[in-house]
Amino acid sequence: MAEDKYNLKNPAVKRILQELKEMQSNPSDDFMSLPLEENIFEWQFAIRGPGETEFEGGIYHGRIQLPAEYPFKPPSFMLLTPNGRFETQTKICLSISNHHPEHWQPSWSVRTALVALIAFMPTNPNGALGSLDYKKEERRTLAIKSREAPPKFGTPERQKLIDEIHEYMLSKAPPVPQVHSPQASEEQPTNTDGEAQANLQNAGTIPTGEVQNPPVAVGDRIVEEVQEVPVNTDTSPANVRASREVPSSGLADQLLQKPENRAHKAADDRLFTWAAVGLTIAIVVLLLKKFLKSSGHGALFMDGS
Amino acid sequence: MQNKDGPRAGGDLEAATSNPTPDFDDWAKFGDDDIMQQQTAIRAEEAEKTPFVGDKEPLSSLAAEYQSGSPILLEKIKVLGEKYAAIRRTRGDGNCFFRSFMFSYLEHILESQDQAEVDRAKSNVEQCRKTLQSLGYADFTFEDFFALFLEQLESVLQGNGTSISQEELLLRSRDQSISDYVVMFFRFVTSGEIRKRSEFFEPFIMGLTNATVEQFCKSSVEPMGEESDHVHITALSDALGVPIRVVYLDRSSCDSAGVSVNHHDFIPAVGGLPNASVMVVVRICGCL
Repeated sequence: MAEDKYNLKNPAVKRILQELKEMQSNPSDDFMSLPLEENIFEWQFAIRGPGETEFEGGIYHGRIQLPAEYPFKPPSFMLLTPNGRFETQTKICLSISNHHPEHWQPSWSVRTALVALIAFMPTNPNGALGSLDYKKEERRTLAIKSREAPPKFGTPERQKLIDEIHEYMLSKAPPVPQVHSPQASEEQPTNTDGEAQANLQNAGTIPTGEVQNPPVAVGDRIVEEVQEVPVNTDTSPANVRASREVPSSGLADQLLQKPENRAHKAADDRLFTWAAVGLTIAIVVLLLKKFLKSSGHGALFMDGS
Repeated sequence: MQNKDGPRAGGDLEAATSNPTPDFDDWAKFGDDDIMQQQTAIRAEEAEKTPFVGDKEPLSSLAAEYQSGSPILLEKIKVLGEKYAAIRRTRGDGNCFFRSFMFSYLEHILESQDQAEVDRAKSNVEQCRKTLQSLGYADFTFEDFFALFLEQLESVLQGNGTSISQEELLLRSRDQSISDYVVMFFRFVTSGEIRKRSEFFEPFIMGLTNATVEQFCKSSVEPMGEESDHVHITALSDALGVPIRVVYLDRSSCDSAGVSVNHHDFIPAVGGLPNASVMVVVRICGCL
């Protein structure tokens, strides 16, 4: 794409193109990074919040600036999505700041740095420049919010790239209920298990396969229509978290948990209600038919229909 | 290509690049930038004093610096003069060992036109490449550096289209875009060798910095500007199979038998130049 626009004799350009090629041939679910078409020294990236932390499920965007002397000088990183760990629009220098005690070395790459950045998310900032020390709950809320929409930043061309990256990251994000359901049913018997049992009783003749369908359907819808059902999408990581840490889960988690359960219940109930109503009508019709037949009013019935 | 680039890069201060200048406007407000700017300023000042590799100077010019200083040093310089005709100064930017090794080695090949040595070095370089791959380095992180060094090695042999003269070799050694790449090549080779034989190097490293082999390579070998020590020189000499002599010009005085200059020879563990003739004089007091 950019090969002909740049001076390939420039070692930095050569190296950056190689890194780009490598990134594209070994994509990761944890991050995505691409240069702007107009300037190969300017990249956009997004990282996925590390699992088992308060950042889980978050999608954090940022920009990378590669120096002219790359790879001798380190790239600069800047986050654009509020995250509660790093200030946004402030450079995070991975080489000489507290974030990264070792010196930058040319054997590292944008990939290495992004992996390091993800690893730094859950670490204690220790008052390092450009760091934030938000409470876990706040970070969780920001993680949820981060999925709603990518940040608005820069030129239309850059914005297009940011949106593209966001789409990709969302598509790679684990489908929400699949993570949620087993956890929840194992560890919260009073809540989800009880509900499931009730559903089964209501369902009666409905095959068990269909019981699992509603959550999957919800999941699909979530991935495709993030903007429209943000609540359902976003609560998942917090929910997983909350269910794992039941004793310590705060009020925020409880609150966050509710909407999704409600949505769950509503979807399930609606289905089962319709099934029950359908069955009842069928039975009533059959009984009526039989009754009419046996009492000799068959002709009337036939006319009526 | 290189010939055309050479003269342009004569000034060492010049950042060897023609990239579009990125917009640094909103990146400015950060503490690290100040540190980096200061470092850059210090380097620029240093660069004005000495190019990466200096011109040949007679030993007397070194002696002149110590005229009013230690008589032992003056004695030692005199002794050095019996064996060595001239010196070149290198910039004290932490890369001086690698840089002087680059120049001496390539100059040695240029003068000797030793095809066999070039072939031997190449096979060692291939070995180093495999070492790095087996240590898990991604190819793209080091291949540019390897390619650039091999290109230099080819070009000092005369008789092909890309051959260069001694003047051109000096210019290239002063051209940051070539010189730094070769230095970095040596750093990769050194790091690979240390990691590959970590059991051998571990005790030395422990004695030096109390760091693990991994930490040492990360913090003291691979980053540019980190000075070289015994461990680096041993590893580089072993990996490339090139003997190195380091002469210490210090104030230590010898006993009765008169003044002699301390030196240390690094002889590669396996193979290499049989009767070592590549020597690097490193002036310990001052440069390193």
